[in-house]
Amino acid sequence: MKKLLVVIFSLMLLSFFACGKPSDTLKPGFKIGFMGPLTGDDANYGKLMSQASKIAIEEFNEKGGFRGFGAELIVEDTQGRVEKGNPAIEKLAGVDKVIGIIGDVFSTVSLAVAPKAEAAKIVMISPSSTHKDLPDKGKFIFRDVINDDLQAVVFAKYLANVEKVKTLAILYIKNDYSQALAKAVQDQYEKEGGKVVASETGLQGDKDFKTQLTKIKSKNPEALYIPNYVAEIAQILEQAKQLGINAKIYSADGFSQPQILELAGSLANGVIYTQIAEQPASNARKTFEAKYEKKWGEKPDAFSLNAYDGTNIILNSVVATAEVIDGNLKIDRDKLRDEVAKTKNYDGASGKITFTENGDLVANIGIYTVENQKFKQIRMFKLEGQKLVELK
Amino acid sequence: MENFIFVILIYTGIYAIAALGLNLVVGYTGLLSLCQAGFIAIGAYTTAIIMNAFNTGFWESMLLSGLVAALFGFIIGMPTLRLRGDYLAIATLGFGEIVQNVIMNWDSVTNGPMGIHSIPEPKLFGMALSASSDQAKPLWVLTIWIIAALSYYLIRRLIRSRVGRALEAIREDEIAASSMGINTAKYKVGVFIAGASLGGIAGSLYAGYSQAIAPLTFNFMMSIMILCMVVLGGLGNSFATVIGAIIITIASELPRLIGISHRIPPQLNQVLFGCILVFMMIYRPQGIIGRIKLNYAKILKEEILHTEK
Amino acid sequence: MNFFNIPSNELLQHLINGLTLGAIYSLIALGYTMVYGILKFINFAHGEILMIGAYAAYYFYSFLYDPAKGSSFIMAIFIAALLIAMFASAALGVLIERFAYKPLRKAPRLAPLLSAIGVSIILANLAALFFGTKSRKFEYPFDNTIIQIGSLNITPNQVMILGVGFVMMVSLKLFIDKTKLGKAMRATSQNQPVASLMGININRIISLTFAIGSALAAVAGVLMALEFKVYPTMGTMAGLKAFIAAVVGGIGNINGAMVGGIILGLLETFGVVILGIPQGLKDTIAFTVLILILLFRPSGILLKNIKEKV
Repeated sequence: MKKLLVVIFSLMLLSFFACGKPSDTLKPGFKIGFMGPLTGDDANYGKLMSQASKIAIEEFNEKGGFRGFGAELIVEDTQGRVEKGNPAIEKLAGVDKVIGIIGDVFSTVSLAVAPKAEAAKIVMISPSSTHKDLPDKGKFIFRDVINDDLQAVVFAKYLANVEKVKTLAILYIKNDYSQALAKAVQDQYEKEGGKVVASETGLQGDKDFKTQLTKIKSKNPEALYIPNYVAEIAQILEQAKQLGINAKIYSADGFSQPQILELAGSLANGVIYTQIAEQPASNARKTFEAKYEKKWGEKPDAFSLNAYDGTNIILNSVVATAEVIDGNLKIDRDKLRDEVAKTKNYDGASGKITFTENGDLVANIGIYTVENQKFKQIRMFKLEGQKLVELK
Repeated sequence: MENFIFVILIYTGIYAIAALGLNLVVGYTGLLSLCQAGFIAIGAYTTAIIMNAFNTGFWESMLLSGLVAALFGFIIGMPTLRLRGDYLAIATLGFGEIVQNVIMNWDSVTNGPMGIHSIPEPKLFGMALSASSDQAKPLWVLTIWIIAALSYYLIRRLIRSRVGRALEAIREDEIAASSMGINTAKYKVGVFIAGASLGGIAGSLYAGYSQAIAPLTFNFMMSIMILCMVVLGGLGNSFATVIGAIIITIASELPRLIGISHRIPPQLNQVLFGCILVFMMIYRPQGIIGRIKLNYAKILKEEILHTEK
Repeated sequence: MNFFNIPSNELLQHLINGLTLGAIYSLIALGYTMVYGILKFINFAHGEILMIGAYAAYYFYSFLYDPAKGSSFIMAIFIAALLIAMFASAALGVLIERFAYKPLRKAPRLAPLLSAIGVSIILANLAALFFGTKSRKFEYPFDNTIIQIGSLNITPNQVMILGVGFVMMVSLKLFIDKTKLGKAMRATSQNQPVASLMGININRIISLTFAIGSALAAVAGVLMALEFKVYPTMGTMAGLKAFIAAVVGGIGNINGAMVGGIILGLLETFGVVILGIPQGLKDTIAFTVLILILLFRPSGILLKNIKEKV
């Protein structure tokens, strides 16, 4: 037992020195926080996104920072829980005095910490909180992920009017992401004249969906919509096949985590899902993806692209608004916020980013599929009023 | 920095109140209950729902939450009359899971997995106690710890009365106690009600402070953490329970407190926490302070000596 | 034929799904119940022992896995992986007992429980640290195409889970009832001081109990890995459910653990189907029924309710 303790402590010390240095040549300038689950069931999402933010910060420092001042990323684990998120943001705001936060990963936590970020004048850009109310929490609160309503409306219209699917079954998990998308799609799809024949639920952490799928099978739907995270999607794909369900399968941006290709294998082929549209003319996504894979040995998901873009938007806004007075870096938080809010057609890795007046994301939605174990964008849409417009 | 410490003090206080309630059940009466998180959830959601729906003030809502939790304490307390030991533990564990599961699925009332995130800010003497404002934090710390102190005092009064002696008798030997004419059923259910209402009040304070709640918070792990506070301090000792609450909360926030949380892998925080639990138990299995036993023989002796003189 | 307005073939499908789930719960529950029978405490780290076993099997198996080498080779390395998992978990179980529980044998009743919670937190997070947080796929050692019987779909893996579960439970039962060591285990669980007077080495029996219970958990872990993938928190929820199953069956009772596991598996699948409510409420139904069972059989389904006397 004593030996174990020695091992643990030496590990701690090791990592302390390993990742503690911001940069050798730069003066410590400002800090940006990252909040997300790094332990627990959904740790992988937090891990992938924080790695993306790290790349953005490193790139910034490698380019010399801002007039010799470097940036530092402070990653805090929230375990996806409100009661861990509150101390985390107090620490980021009070101890680290961060100027911006990328996070939180989950809507429930983001909604809880947003008022604090607003009060402390910290620009908060969530890469993955899709709940519709989030941007209304304050002027410092932004997100660069498509909200549930936009994604669901585009998808439901696409399903009913473009693919002309008549009957749909939905299988969602009782978490904030999955349920919000499922409900919004159900509403819109029924408005478009489609019929939802089954709407089944599962619990967070469930891996066995055979009961739900057996029920769905008996309703014989044309299509099955599974807006979940990949660990669950992989299970559903496999079990649906085992039970002999032939419905065409659709999903949402949670599907974009490349791990699905490993977990579901060939079953992932042909699944159609939605995500922010990639700009055909831009190389930003490919460059970032290559860099990410080289550095971390794994591929980023859609939310990591958002985290990378969010971090860069903050960094760019710092460059645009910061001043150096008597050798000290001065960042005016209000000016920084206004600069972030002005973001328009930013050419990011995730796509073209524009913030609405209240800090939500306007984006084009891509329809993606998997072909031969590779993600591929097949069509691109945007919403004009209530009309679905295809972009070429 | 001080704001961060205030937040930790606030959570410690909330947990301490819940743990004091659990200690009544587990420590003083010897009934293993694994559903304190369920009562906290009931308290938190009652407060959130009635404050939003009926525009009631926070403090009235808090008392009502305590009552609602007490009602559920009564419901889950009834089976305790039949179940013993670990079977009771499982029944309570099941109850805790049911509470979380119902909250998760009862979307129209509890807003399901989204949680409730628009709880109005509590007001104290006309001053708004908003979660995000820095001025309100010391006031929150004060309020919560005053409530904790009040609970502590009430429990102390209770334990030093006839009731306390009856509970101790039940814990040591239930059959002997009942043959001494103690109505064990009444006391056992009563203690469950008291423990639950403290859990409900803690939950209400949690909702009032955070102004945002989500169902995943109130899971089995939370019950376990509160049980750890009770056991770690020393069973059947309210003061030790408060110490336990302080140690567990600080231990789980330790890396953040000493400023290394972003320098070490986050899992190590948790590993460190686990190590603290194991080592504390190995070296102080009776808890850090342990149970304070009234030494009746000594008291009696002193009495006699006193009268002789 | 229709029951509760559900076609009978759909009901049969639910039955098979429930039985496979139940078989896994039973295997895990056995470990809880054995340890409880002897030490009278809940080994909370059991779910994590299962997870470590699954990882051990995964690393060995996926390192050697090569579809080109033919099905008999793959089956051979699968069996080897299963044995490695059992050995790794057994060793871990014994080690944990030695360091985290043994010093607490005479401590107050709740102390080992806390120590076990600590161990479980340590193991789950070390696993996340060293193995990573993502789920990993455990390739099937055989062709897992569905077998269709009428409109019923069964996978070979489900058949294997039921088969392996059954074999494991029967051999454990035989071991405990028929062998000398099994007899020693029973004696130890009934009365430790007397057992030690009879020349039974209590420490060895306790180690053996942990080893067997953990090895069974590892088997459950590998079966779960095939069905549900390998990830650091895979044992937590399953462990909790299995623990409940063990108690419902009558904790400390081997038959009870098997029955309890199967009942829980069936309750989880059938409860909501029969009532026609969303699957998200399955825990509510399952736990409500369990509490009711406990109320009517306060010492579990298979244990006689022994009246306490002074």
